[in-house]
Amino acid sequence: MKRLLSSLVAAGSSRAVPPVVIGLFFLIYIIIAFFTDETLITLMAFTRKSFVLAALLALIPLNCIFRMAWETRRGRARRRALAGIDSESVSDLFDETVSLPGAADPDSGHHTLAPGVAGLETRLASVGYKVCRTEKTIAAWRGLSAYPARLLFLVGTFCLFSGILISITTRAAYRQMVIEGVPMPTPSGTGGLVERIALAKSTGSILSRVLTMEVVGRNGTKTFGLYPPSMYDGAFVYPRYLGVAAHIIFAAPDMKTEYETYSNLNCYPPGKEDSVLIAGSPYKIIFSIPEPTAGSDRYISYMSGVTMVNFKLLKGPDLLFAGSARQGGEFVRDGYRLALPDIKRLVVTDFIKDYGVLFIWVSALFFTAAVFVWLPIRIFFPRCEILFRLDPHATKAYSRTEGRLRMHAGVFYEALDVLAVRKTDIPDG
Amino acid sequence: MFAVKIIPHILAWAGIVLILFRGSPGQRPAVTLASISGFVAGSSGAFILFRFFPEPVVFGVIKSVLGVSFLLLWGVAVAALYLCSSARVVAVQQEGKSGMSSLWTGVIAGAASLVAGAICASRLPGRDSTVLEVVLLVLAAAALAYVVVYAVRAVEKLLSASFIVSKLGLLTIVIALLLFSASSILRLDLFSPLSMKVMKGIHDFVHQFMESILIPDHLFVRSAVWGYIGLLFSKEVGFWGGMVIWFVPAILIILATRFKRLPSVAHIRQGAQRRKLLAASIGLRRGQIVVPVIALVVFATAAYQSRFPNVEYWDPKPVPVSANQAGEIFIPKKGDVNLEDGKLHKYLFKQGEREARFFVLMSPAGVLTVDLDACAICKPDGYGQAEGTVICYYCKTLIPLETVGKPGGCNPVPVPFTEKDGAVVIDGMTLINSWSSTVKATAGNKEGGK
Repeated sequence: MKRLLSSLVAAGSSRAVPPVVIGLFFLIYIIIAFFTDETLITLMAFTRKSFVLAALLALIPLNCIFRMAWETRRGRARRRALAGIDSESVSDLFDETVSLPGAADPDSGHHTLAPGVAGLETRLASVGYKVCRTEKTIAAWRGLSAYPARLLFLVGTFCLFSGILISITTRAAYRQMVIEGVPMPTPSGTGGLVERIALAKSTGSILSRVLTMEVVGRNGTKTFGLYPPSMYDGAFVYPRYLGVAAHIIFAAPDMKTEYETYSNLNCYPPGKEDSVLIAGSPYKIIFSIPEPTAGSDRYISYMSGVTMVNFKLLKGPDLLFAGSARQGGEFVRDGYRLALPDIKRLVVTDFIKDYGVLFIWVSALFFTAAVFVWLPIRIFFPRCEILFRLDPHATKAYSRTEGRLRMHAGVFYEALDVLAVRKTDIPDG
Repeated sequence: MFAVKIIPHILAWAGIVLILFRGSPGQRPAVTLASISGFVAGSSGAFILFRFFPEPVVFGVIKSVLGVSFLLLWGVAVAALYLCSSARVVAVQQEGKSGMSSLWTGVIAGAASLVAGAICASRLPGRDSTVLEVVLLVLAAAALAYVVVYAVRAVEKLLSASFIVSKLGLLTIVIALLLFSASSILRLDLFSPLSMKVMKGIHDFVHQFMESILIPDHLFVRSAVWGYIGLLFSKEVGFWGGMVIWFVPAILIILATRFKRLPSVAHIRQGAQRRKLLAASIGLRRGQIVVPVIALVVFATAAYQSRFPNVEYWDPKPVPVSANQAGEIFIPKKGDVNLEDGKLHKYLFKQGEREARFFVLMSPAGVLTVDLDACAICKPDGYGQAEGTVICYYCKTLIPLETVGKPGGCNPVPVPFTEKDGAVVIDGMTLINSWSSTVKATAGNKEGGK
């Protein structure tokens, strides 16, 4: 049982797990690509529905946790070995292990320390190594360990794949119309009153326009912007498109009564059309926002709130006439009447319940930190370690490096050469 | 002349055999036997398959084998880099002397030659040949294989001893040569469909990524910034993404070879001896990089051949047509032009400021079809005809003639029509509306992504 457990832990903390899992998903992606053009969406849908695929994806964050524990345990064991505290085998903690003849003279049994040991310490110190000597060990090291960078990277990977897993399996999106002056529609019902929707030009380098929605609720006024999106009622508020909510009154000669409706029109940018069917009649009205004058912002009408709409009145497939009407105005012709008493700003908004997004954003921070920590260490101060365990029967030498491989190898071999030299006996004590 | 066309394929196969001889010293008999028999089996198998199955099926089988071998190369390359980055130092190995067993050598030689033979057979015209012709072709293939293998044996002996082939290098160059051989045949080429799939994949991924992390829509983003994002939705991203996927396995193998840890010499106390051993290992490592670098060049040549195929597309200039008073377009099936000749016939219809481009084609099954010279996915760059397919000029997808007329994917959008009085009759308004909505949709897809 213990062996099985240790095998599972070894497999779970293997560096091969992420590439194997990612490779499997790529393979599935390739197979799906033969059957549909919507490959990624299909793969995401499969992962959402399939426990096996979700469990497979979950192996990566699990592997990160195992690896963090494994790296920490190994790092601590190595530090103890370098400090001369532990006497257990440390071969698997180092890259290279060499056995030298024992420190004892084979004839007399007296401990024979190579006369250059003291000189060895000086030599190692002269090439920048810090040396620590105990009764039975000589340890030398230089540089900084990349362990913090590796830890940051593993945490980032954990956050990224956890975020992807949470996002794929739990994401729920609800598209609602947020209208100025109307209570905010939320996934669970209605929220506070949308007091104001404003679109303005931006001075930033990425966004050209900024959208703000002010919602007044029990806890005061909350303002929603574009990025990063804020949360409301447990969901991210993600504005998508602009439109208008129009109060429409329509009358036709062959209609007994006026038709009155409130209609949401997804008719921005200017030129885009949206239509309203007059229920119980063959009429259809197609609305669009006219193009602004040359040189002005395309969304100036939305920004200023002065809304003129163009319309086309169709009876069946036939176009009766076209015209335009302003907010608060009306259009009358040949017995037809179209009035627009009120036109409000509208934002087509997605409410996204997806906590995986937070993990994905946080992972970006961790990856950035990992790069900034790792790069200078790897270039200027890579960790190099040497450990000699002096034993009467067999002296063992261990070496490990995280960079400057050839330079460190040269120092290590020279140190071995020095230690292997045998001169006069030095009695015990 | 098909004999001239087949030369590159024979040369590619000869290169494979040469590498196998050099990479498996002491196993010449196994390589010789497996190569000749594999080539003969591959070419004769392909002849027989072409006789009994439709061409798309046979080409599909060969293309699938090539695709799987490329995937295998990817897997091996990633594993090689992963293993080389392992920090454990290994004992001294004499890489050049440790080779593969006869069985594995024979399997690799046989499999590679089988595929090479099938590719060569795909080049031959008149695939619906008689049994006698098939037997004669098989005998010719056997004779050719025998001559080529023994010639390559002689050439291999002349090569310098410093030309080393490692196992990784062998796999890379064999697959590179097979893909190079296939790239000159339109229906076996992998690079073009790879680019197209990569383009769609990147479009999909970027779109989903931006939706997932709630990036604002393009109406809120500066046009210059959106322009950079738009690059990820362009056609070129498929080409460059395809190039990355195409070259990365060979590059990973070069890196794995270059950064493989040198063997441990810590147990040797003489500095000069250590340096000598290390120098020998470094020399061996450098020698092992040569073959993967050659494979990189071969991959590049294959990509070039795919991008600029030596194929002339049949792409006639659209002939202007007009509608009668009832708004119908009449195109006689026979007359100046025979619509039933199996060739693409393109037309241009204008109505006021609006126009539509379409073509009429008789499929191999004898069914007449009328389609827009555009598909529902790509920009309307149009189609050309070659080697039993039509090709979308935008994404370079090959569409078998048998499927033209059926909607979906990158197929040209079918247009309803009738046949009356020996003519094809198309409603002009339907044609114009279909073209406008298709072009509008594809322009929207390509310029926003979201």
